[in-house]
Amino acid sequence: MRIWLLARVHLGPVAVLFVLTLSACLLVAGLPRATQAAYDEALRRALSATPAVQADLTVAVESRSPEEDLHERAQFDSRDRLWREILPGELRPLVTGAGHMSAKTTLTPITGTGGKSYLNLGWLSDGERRVDWVRGRAPGAPATMRYEGKTIPVFEVGIVEEALREMGLGVGQTKMVGEHDYAAVTIVGAYRAKDPGDRYWSHNADLLHVSKIQPPGGLDFEKHITALTSDAGLTVLSGEGRNLTYRWVLPIATGAANALDVPGLRAAVAEFDRVVALQSNGTASPYHVETGLPKVLGDFLAALSTAQTVMYLVLGGLLAVALGVIVLAVQLLADRLDHALTLARARGGSLRQVAGAAAALTGLAVVPGALAGYALSYLVPGPVLPVVHVGPVIVVLAAVGFAAVRLALAHRRPLHERRDDVAAARPSAKRVTLEVLVVVLALVGAYLLRARGLSASAGQDPFLLVVPVALTAAAALITLRCYPYPLRLFVRVAARGRAAVAFLGLTRAARARSASVLPVLILLPALAVSVFAAVISDGIAGTQRLASWQQVGAPIRMISDIEIPATAIEQVRRTPGVAQVVPAQTGRVQVGYGAERAEAIAVDVAQWRSILGDAPVGLPSLPDGALVSPELRGRGTLELGWQSRLKLPTRGVIDSVPGFYATGKFLVVPLSVQIRPAVNTLLIKGDASDATLTELARLVPSATVESQERALLAIRDDPLTGTVRSTLVVVTVALAAYALLAVVLSLVVGAADRARAVSFLRTLGLSHRQAQRLTVLEILPMILFTALAGLGLGLGLPAALGPGVDLSSYAGDLPVGDYSLDLFLPSALTAGLAAVAVLGAYAHTAISRRLSLGAVLRVGDLT
Amino acid sequence: MNPTLSELEAKATGKKVAFGGDAHIVCDNLVRIYKTEGVEVVALQGLDLVIDEGELVAIVGASGSGKSTLLNVLSGLDVPTAGVARVAGMDLLSMNARDRLRYRRSVVGFIWQQTARNLLPYLTARENVELPMKLAGGPSGASRARSRRERADELLELLGVASCANRKAPEMSGGQQQRVSIAVALANSPQLILADEPTGELDSETSEQVFDALRTANRELGVTVVIVTHDPLVSEQVDRTVGIRDGRTSSETLRREGAEGQIIAEEYAVLDRVGRLQLPRDFMNALEMERRVRLELESDHIGVWPAREEPSND
Repeated sequence: MRIWLLARVHLGPVAVLFVLTLSACLLVAGLPRATQAAYDEALRRALSATPAVQADLTVAVESRSPEEDLHERAQFDSRDRLWREILPGELRPLVTGAGHMSAKTTLTPITGTGGKSYLNLGWLSDGERRVDWVRGRAPGAPATMRYEGKTIPVFEVGIVEEALREMGLGVGQTKMVGEHDYAAVTIVGAYRAKDPGDRYWSHNADLLHVSKIQPPGGLDFEKHITALTSDAGLTVLSGEGRNLTYRWVLPIATGAANALDVPGLRAAVAEFDRVVALQSNGTASPYHVETGLPKVLGDFLAALSTAQTVMYLVLGGLLAVALGVIVLAVQLLADRLDHALTLARARGGSLRQVAGAAAALTGLAVVPGALAGYALSYLVPGPVLPVVHVGPVIVVLAAVGFAAVRLALAHRRPLHERRDDVAAARPSAKRVTLEVLVVVLALVGAYLLRARGLSASAGQDPFLLVVPVALTAAAALITLRCYPYPLRLFVRVAARGRAAVAFLGLTRAARARSASVLPVLILLPALAVSVFAAVISDGIAGTQRLASWQQVGAPIRMISDIEIPATAIEQVRRTPGVAQVVPAQTGRVQVGYGAERAEAIAVDVAQWRSILGDAPVGLPSLPDGALVSPELRGRGTLELGWQSRLKLPTRGVIDSVPGFYATGKFLVVPLSVQIRPAVNTLLIKGDASDATLTELARLVPSATVESQERALLAIRDDPLTGTVRSTLVVVTVALAAYALLAVVLSLVVGAADRARAVSFLRTLGLSHRQAQRLTVLEILPMILFTALAGLGLGLGLPAALGPGVDLSSYAGDLPVGDYSLDLFLPSALTAGLAAVAVLGAYAHTAISRRLSLGAVLRVGDLT
Repeated sequence: MNPTLSELEAKATGKKVAFGGDAHIVCDNLVRIYKTEGVEVVALQGLDLVIDEGELVAIVGASGSGKSTLLNVLSGLDVPTAGVARVAGMDLLSMNARDRLRYRRSVVGFIWQQTARNLLPYLTARENVELPMKLAGGPSGASRARSRRERADELLELLGVASCANRKAPEMSGGQQQRVSIAVALANSPQLILADEPTGELDSETSEQVFDALRTANRELGVTVVIVTHDPLVSEQVDRTVGIRDGRTSSETLRREGAEGQIIAEEYAVLDRVGRLQLPRDFMNALEMERRVRLELESDHIGVWPAREEPSND
């Protein structure tokens, strides 16, 4: 058989197949790349957002005796090399940059301060490069001196500028440190970090900033600073009598992180810790790894696994539907080939020749399409995953395999007489049992999933992925098996009427023919997955909005550390773009007369409610008294100490104060209870444009200005969230397109059959108009029933999977639970499908009108 | 004289002469039952037929009598349910798929009624004729392709449609298409050609041409030709016409040339191997025969009487 000639003759179906394969391969290969790229980006952002001291790997060891002391840089370097040598392979791509080493003492008190001031000694392997000396000079070699009958070392140190002021130190001063193992520290210079924002300083914040710690029960703050000493100073720094820790920092290159490696990385960190500990050689204190990396990765993995679950479901559905539509197109091609192949088979073509020709023709359409789609998918930025290669192969194999198998089965016998006039036989008991089993298993699976739930951090749960597939299969089976029954009721009603068209159309529709199986199998998951995607997407969007309102509590919010003067408030009121300003005072108030404290906000609740408008957050009205958090409920009248003594009855319990408090003890009181309110917060309704926000920030310099829109943007800006949503949108659109295509293709596939039936009826006096109505009535019920089943399944899936899919990490950490039934999109999809079906039916009858009855009937006469 | 032991032994071990002997087509008690989704249709109900090599036979019968089923069975497209069907010594019931394919490729060729169904519309007449040869396979190569082409041209020439060699089906008349179809059926030099109402869609003049083509094939190439037809024009021009009724052969009409050159047609009822006979329906109606008849053996014939009446003496 000449394949090129066949391709030219059947150019239409071949072209359809080509386009379908191209789009399917592009989607199947491209979307995973885009999502994986987003996962990687999300991981990099998560790592970058984590302070270096948590993200980086730090090998630490404490020195407790002179034997364990390290006095030379070379000793540090050799160990650094060792750590890098024993680093597990998974971590190597991440640990590429040069790290640094440090030796620091902790809790080294300045003698005589009674434990109020601590001057720790620190050595950094590259300290000299990192600081600028603003006063004095860099520290030099240590000296010795006699103190209380002992020779003690005198360290030369430099100290950060800030500490001179904060701790009352001065360049040139010599301080004694230690309570019994004394040492002298001479401050010879003051420095300033060259780049204080560098991640490097995250490890050495103690050298840059004075840390103030309030000891338990104490009122005064302890002040700690670490002073920088030189390489020479290191030679006399000993762990004997001091808390001395050596550290080797192996920085993580956040840009090289890869989401696929995350599970391996967590294990590798644990492995690294183990092998590092093995290097201890029986020293008193073992080497150990200090890092927060596993936790950071764990949190990321939890968010990722949810995203992956949703993506697997949605992309799997997309692949299934795409394959279904491709198979439908192959069926169209096979139908067109039927005459040629039947003739070839009858004239002595072997089964292999016949099936081979069909497979080769399908391959001719599918392989270039798949290659083009595969090539185009490389335009999508992102890493190359196995699915990028496997997806197109699956598509090609499915298409060619279906073509070969279907035609081989159809032409197994050279004469395949079809008795279309015979009503479908009753399904065998075996088949009914199998179908009931599938339905029962799906329902039990869904029930178990709901009953059991799962933790997102547990990684991929195959059960979670299987249940939707089983539910879809069950819904498809029920639809296929049951849709003729309600139709037969209509048929019965129509039979009593006088109009023949309704009766005939519905009767034809009610005959469960095998030809209608494929469209059902495509339409149902297409609608279910697209509705599911739309509902999830809507749920995320709604929750993101809710989260942004809960974060800010007003269209614009200004919070100041100090009181905002009345004149400034007045200026804010007059700023263009500001519609309404509600002043509020927040503070920490005394509850009762004891030590109990609660967060409080004094505000005119009625005005606040008015600026919230139709926001998804709100407060009950409060003319007097107080609204309290659940922890403060049941107290009756509250006695508060806030500027003056207040006595306020509880008027209600609230779970949160939007924009302010969500946990702990908090309360809301009317602003009028304050005799002289010290307004430090403004809740503003108005235009939240950048210009307005800048202007507001200028008017009240002490305040931080936040807007709900910006908070929403920040939540949406997360790459994982963005990708999840955009993928859902792409998939919804693609599936809707596939559903429409499935309708069109099934119309075309059944066209010849219908044309014959209509022609027969036209010989009996059926008018064109009646023929159109007949066709519509014949097609519409199947599409409507399937669409409704798909819609129901799509709306039901989020509820069924609810506990299994935790989308909170995409919605500002609020659980996405309220899947509102926004019926717009699903209804639009269903209506679109129905419209296309009707249009297709009309177009079809309009085209067949041109054919003469005799031609149709004779060509159709296959006896 | 009683047979001797050795004679009996020879008789027991010797091959029995089968029904129909070594005729080209033998159908003995052929049964074909269609079972489609629970509905059973008995299309052939014990049909007997014997056709010799090189014969030109027409099969006639009312719609639904089983003619097309018989043709499908003989062409190897359909498998009979029971009975014997042998063509050119090959048993159609015991053949496996491979044998059946070989049978269709080299033993039998056929022509359907619908002209559109016989030819691929996007191939030229010559390519259509070459198709069965290509499907049959064999060595490839330029010389092989040339010989195929020559064979196709030869056949088209023989059937009088050489001028259509480069035309596609829609560019030919119905008669030309059917003649090309005959060429396609003859492509692999089959021993038997089966034609299912080949002139059903044609006017009488064109029918004549198509029938001539079939007769040419029969005479020139020595191919056995079996034509299923309603067309009296065709059935009157063949040597033998077999009538089929209710899935059985009911009658045969033999034609021979009379002494003055006129055609004499004699219609016979068919007696099967177990002695069953189908009486023509009009005969039965005329004498109101039903359920039971009485038979009487005479020296040179058998008399059949309605059950109630006494036989007359003549």
